[in-house]
Amino acid sequence: MANYLAALDEVFVALADPTRREVVRHLGRGPKSVGDLAREFPMTLPSFLKHVRTLEASGLISTAKSGRVRTCELRRDRLAVVDDWLADQRRIWEERTDRLESLVTDPKEQS
Amino acid sequence: MNPELDLTLERVIRAPRAAVWLAWTDPSRFEQWWIPSPLTCRVDRLEVRPGGAMVTRMSEDGTNFVPHMDASFLVVEDRERLVFTNAIDSTWRPANPQPVAMTAEITLSDHPDGTNYHVTVTHADPQARAHHEQLGFLEGWGTVTDQLAEIAESQGR
Repeated sequence: MANYLAALDEVFVALADPTRREVVRHLGRGPKSVGDLAREFPMTLPSFLKHVRTLEASGLISTAKSGRVRTCELRRDRLAVVDDWLADQRRIWEERTDRLESLVTDPKEQS
Repeated sequence: MNPELDLTLERVIRAPRAAVWLAWTDPSRFEQWWIPSPLTCRVDRLEVRPGGAMVTRMSEDGTNFVPHMDASFLVVEDRERLVFTNAIDSTWRPANPQPVAMTAEITLSDHPDGTNYHVTVTHADPQARAHHEQLGFLEGWGTVTDQLAEIAESQGR
């Protein structure tokens, strides 16, 4: 929980840039190599790689190298961070109530 | 109740009010449900009276504990109502808890099948939101939301 806000910061910073949002959108359709992605953007490869590194640092994407090809993949769990903090709190309380319920309805507890 | 900041939930628990109250107020019981396993919860202080402290810690390995909740009870009505907040810590010092400050109100009432359990949690505006605005992100936000929807939909295909 302590890292939650730090994670939010990084994700918001990463998504604040239109190029990076576009990368996220592309990867929403499935993993792609850096080379294939870079061709979609009118910029030099080094500039593009900077964006990839920012996205990777935020945890929004992961990359893996196989031979000479680096493949990027969207990490949906990270994207969920921006989804809705209130939904998060609701889930915490729902699950908390589930556990409370199962404790107080446990036959062993009645004795 | 602000739907953008607050939440409520209601549940009929098939146990008497006294049992639910005990689960909230007895540290050894509270520890069993407050935090999801495999995390371990340890209650440092659970002083169930107005102004009393509510301090819990949690651990991944059962040995090293880190802070979890540092809050104060505001209202305590025996077997009926509990209100606590982490907007002030257990020493009543104004706090800035992460990710967001909250006040939780738990009410218990009789139900033919046991206990009507009601939770209302009100939240401060999260820093994330302020941060969001600092980034001049408001305009871009609609785009991101559209894109998230698009991503989600593309998964469905």
